Amino acid sequence: MTTTSESVRKDRDKQDLPELDATVKPRVHRRGALEYFAWLCCALVALGVVRTVFTNENYQWDVVAQYVTAETVLRGLVMTVVLTVLCMTFGALLGLLLAVLRVSPLRPVRILAGAYITFFRGTPVLVQLIFWFNIAALYPHLAIGIPFTDVSQDIDVNRLISATTAAVVGLSLNQAAYQAEIFRGGFASVDKGQIEAADSLGMSRGTKLRRIIVPQSMPTIVPATGNQFIGMFKETSLVSVLGVGELLMSVQLIYARTYQTIPLLIVACVWYLVMTLLLSYPQSLIEKKFSRTRARVSNGPAAVPTQTEMMGEAK
Amino acid sequence: MSQMNGEGTVHARGLRKSFGERVVLDSIDLDVASGEIVCIIGPSGSGKSTLLRCVDGLEEIDRGVLRVNGQDLGFRETPRAYQALKRKEVAAQRTRIGMVFQSFNLFPNMTAQENVMSGPVLVKGAPKAESRRRADELLTSVGLQGHGDHYPWQLSGGQQQRVAIARSLAMDPSVMLFDEPTSALDPERVGEVLAVMKDLAHRGMTMLIATHEMGFAREVADTVIFMDGGLVVEKGSPADVLGNPQEPRTCKFLETVL
Ligand SMILES: Nc1ncnc2c1ncn2[C@@H]1O[C@H](COP(=O)(O)OP(=O)(O)O)[C@@H](O)[C@H]1O
Ligand SMILES: [Mg+2]
Repeated sequence: MTTTSESVRKDRDKQDLPELDATVKPRVHRRGALEYFAWLCCALVALGVVRTVFTNENYQWDVVAQYVTAETVLRGLVMTVVLTVLCMTFGALLGLLLAVLRVSPLRPVRILAGAYITFFRGTPVLVQLIFWFNIAALYPHLAIGIPFTDVSQDIDVNRLISATTAAVVGLSLNQAAYQAEIFRGGFASVDKGQIEAADSLGMSRGTKLRRIIVPQSMPTIVPATGNQFIGMFKETSLVSVLGVGELLMSVQLIYARTYQTIPLLIVACVWYLVMTLLLSYPQSLIEKKFSRTRARVSNGPAAVPTQTEMMGEAK
Repeated sequence: MSQMNGEGTVHARGLRKSFGERVVLDSIDLDVASGEIVCIIGPSGSGKSTLLRCVDGLEEIDRGVLRVNGQDLGFRETPRAYQALKRKEVAAQRTRIGMVFQSFNLFPNMTAQENVMSGPVLVKGAPKAESRRRADELLTSVGLQGHGDHYPWQLSGGQQQRVAIARSLAMDPSVMLFDEPTSALDPERVGEVLAVMKDLAHRGMTMLIATHEMGFAREVADTVIFMDGGLVVEKGSPADVLGNPQEPRTCKFLETVL
């Protein structure tokens, strides 16, 4: 004969099942009331969003469906992808160069690289883009030639700087400044002992950079660059102000005609989202891969100096 | 090791090194003959590492004479001054000085074999096949045959340090510097590294070793130097310095470590 309180406990612990051995019993964690409340809020918000998205007719999902694979939109998307790849490539190459100049033994070189980075990171990229678009107002003629000779080629800057070149130049130069900082951070993440070991062997600066510093800073540089890539993909929408026919521009062209502004902006957003989601999968793989190698490297005994030495050689 | 041109020797006179205001090495005199084994002992912060780093050219000295392998390190003496050498000339001097660090500093992006090959191939431009063969020989000589394909993180501390020694030896240095090579190791791994160093000592390598291993110093060293506060306090045979110290500071230090 069991008492009521016992039967309640029995019910809760499900003791009608055979009791497990104490060493193999799972540990059940508490879920606080707060967690249930948070889930409830989450569900309510989701419900609200879904409801308005489907009941508010101004979204015009039929229009979205109609234009999401329209040829103009797809051409804009291709342009966006091309711009992203171009600007990231130029930006990364120039950024690497800047980062190397930034750690040059020659002070004036360091100063010039630093000034470049300060300028391009310190002014809005939108302003820079418009600036490049209007560069012809500043330098209407550009003479490319060999100094102190008559051999030269006069170039009409107005024709050279089309909207697309202004976009590529502007985004690349801006990206280079950010990329340079990423490279610099990566270089700085390399353990000082590595540089000393290389110096001790008599390695030249170039060899040290190529064989020791760059490979070892990849775990820091690659994931950050991946993030920049995703960022650049969205940043290209800025060049629509120059009239470059990328994704945002192409939907703008359509809604300027049809006045279906909201559904066409949704079309653009759908593509931006799809592409960033597609990109973030390889990005997460890259991050996982490099965080593992980094953990491996820094778990080695090499990274664990004794306490006394850490104090003795604090630098 | 040839005795000609002071190959394998280290000489310092009035060597001074400071970091900002702080004088870390003060009027150090040092004479290491070719093939001599010198152990530097002293409390933490006494300047042992800094002295070795100066001798390896990792730190520039403020004042004094520092001659390694018979050449002024990093500079050329002129009647009125020491003139800095070209980067290439400095690098050439460095290839003849080997340094083994407390924290190994193996290149983690290279296998053990590639680490050992790195000096000959990347610095001297030696042919790869030959350097690979040489690297395997060196790895065998430090008891690591078959570990050539392992990355540093796959090796124990003692193994890593032996790879580091092999990496230095691959450059055929005339002087080897060791900065507390066993301090970062688990106690049971210390012996294997000391054994490699003993072997090297018996083969006539000039060695300058900062260490806390008093037993090793007693057994292997020709000369023991006791440093404290950036000064050479006492210098002599291991029997004298370790067995019969004259300076009170040496006595006090030996009491704490023995
Ligand atoms: N790069 C540096 N900058 C400033 N002080 C340093 C630097 N390197 C070493 N020191 C100082 O020099 C002194 C001697 O250090 P170190 O040569 O590492 O001694 P040891 O190797 O005998 O423990 C210490 O007080 C340390 O703080
Ligand atoms: Mg030290």
